Amino acid sequence: MPDRAEADRLADHAQIDGLADELLPALIAKLGATGLAELEVREGDWKVRLRRSADGSTAASRAASARAARPAGGHLEHAHPVATEAAVDPYRAAATSPAVGIYQPRPEISSGSRVRAGDRIGSVDVLGIPQEVVSPVDGIVGAGLVESGDAVEYGQELAWIELISSTAERAGRDA
Amino acid sequence: MFAKILIANRGEIAVRVLRACRTLGVEAVVAYSEADRESLAVQLADEAICIGPADAKRSYLSAPAVISAAIVSGCDAIHPGYGFLSEDEGFAEVVRAHGLTFIGPPPQVLERFASKEATRRLLGAEGLATIPGSNGMLRDDLHGLEEAERIGYPVLIKPSAGGGGKGMRMVRTPRELEAALKICRSEARAAFGDDSLYLEKWLEDNRHVEVQVAVDRFGHGVHLGERDCSVQRRHQKFLEEAPTPALDEAARNELAERAIRAVVAAGYENVGTLEFLVDPAGNAYFIEINCRIQVEHPVTEMLTGIDLVVTQIRIAAGEPLGFSQGDVTLRGHALEFRINAEDTAHDFRPSTGVVERYLAPGGPGVRMDSHLFTGYEVPPFYDSLLGKLVVWGPDRPTAIARSRAALDELVVDGIVTNIAIHQALLVNDTFLAGEMTTNLVDRIGSAAFLAAAAR
Repeated sequence: MPDRAEADRLADHAQIDGLADELLPALIAKLGATGLAELEVREGDWKVRLRRSADGSTAASRAASARAARPAGGHLEHAHPVATEAAVDPYRAAATSPAVGIYQPRPEISSGSRVRAGDRIGSVDVLGIPQEVVSPVDGIVGAGLVESGDAVEYGQELAWIELISSTAERAGRDA
Repeated sequence: MFAKILIANRGEIAVRVLRACRTLGVEAVVAYSEADRESLAVQLADEAICIGPADAKRSYLSAPAVISAAIVSGCDAIHPGYGFLSEDEGFAEVVRAHGLTFIGPPPQVLERFASKEATRRLLGAEGLATIPGSNGMLRDDLHGLEEAERIGYPVLIKPSAGGGGKGMRMVRTPRELEAALKICRSEARAAFGDDSLYLEKWLEDNRHVEVQVAVDRFGHGVHLGERDCSVQRRHQKFLEEAPTPALDEAARNELAERAIRAVVAAGYENVGTLEFLVDPAGNAYFIEINCRIQVEHPVTEMLTGIDLVVTQIRIAAGEPLGFSQGDVTLRGHALEFRINAEDTAHDFRPSTGVVERYLAPGGPGVRMDSHLFTGYEVPPFYDSLLGKLVVWGPDRPTAIARSRAALDELVVDGIVTNIAIHQALLVNDTFLAGEMTTNLVDRIGSAAFLAAAAR
């Protein structure tokens, strides 16, 4: 969007930061406490949707699947990752297994694929029922940590997602 | 025999089952939740697999997680321990459907004995005296009130599923009954996912006596004597002993023989326990059967020298029992003290924290089954059992004397425990006389009980 004013961009960034820092933690707590599958909140022209994966995992442990989205034209590449695991390493986050079973990566996703937080990158087969493996952050799929068809346990790290916000975009913004 | 067993439990029983697997030379995989990553069972295991988060509904109680873990780790059998999925016939059936063996009674046997109320009628027909109770499950509150009126107050409300005192209330009036039914229903639903309730006549001063049985696939069964579990607080056992001081040797033998005859006739298979209430006149009424290994099984192991978990695994693998009633001898006296993370000074509320120092007692006849170690953090998500101190002596006074010494020796620093209530029991005249009834601690009050011992 070349015609966007610098001021607009800055205002957007400030709003997104505000949402990520203030609204998300409260929403995650709420989702965890209520047992609802999905929460959606509109604030200004931004919309935040939290979704609990089908296996019923709590939002607190799977905060990584929280995803902010703007109806049109918005970009959230630098939205703060809210997962605690992601916070440990500023450059990458691991997609973890939602269950004990057999891992199958999505064929169309490979190292170098660009993904957004909440995107399905594969599944873990539990007695024939696939459980979604989602990217915890916006980023680029990096090294796979397990092979297709491997047995994996709950919480096991399956693939790295390299954060794009932490490097190029942050540098760009700061310049 | 199995090639590899998945242990789908935690705490002391996971360690106990692991030891049985080692004894048999069978590989074992410990399935654990995220909260138990540092547990003793996981540390001791050759192989361990994380099956879910701390929430038991998504780990130890999740049939798909447990079965998937067994399959991906190459196990051919699952040991459920006690609690969690141990008596869930639906789970046992799904385990079988996946080509695995459930270590316990086969699914069709579990199903036959799933309803406590139906089991009472089944074994009643095989010659066991049963306690008066409601005809079937309570359809609603009105049905409950009518049945209670017919049986006569006081009555005990009991859930059809589960155990451990959850969803159980004794009531003396219709008003109490109405209020308690709601509480019991929600407790039972929360604990077992099944809120069906029934009523039993409440015997005021009763003893809880249970008979341990083992029956193989070929219908060959033995009893392994009885245990007395009359020391209870709010329907929760916390000290067990054998033989029961409530009955003489002839009466004990007769009860055990009637029990084994009835369950063999009713088609039971594997290890199990028949629970009876014994009234002051010595009449024993059958109340329920536990189709699992029980917390208090070591009491019987001390008397018989028979490893009950090994026996359970061997029967599930289709092996014959390998011994008969004549080979079972009951020697001496044994007591088991459940060491719980409970604050006796504050209404036994559960405690958690880090074990700063743990020292297990020793000496002749002393056995400590526990998952504790110095530095272990007791997670807040599960039951409060920290371990079981089991003490044997050639007679009851010797066993009690050894128990006092062992309890004094036991150190669990950093966690508030219930050790004080055991020490109080061992100087209580009623207990020493062997006259404990299930209602005694609650009637006197735990606080008064502890205070009396301190004098």
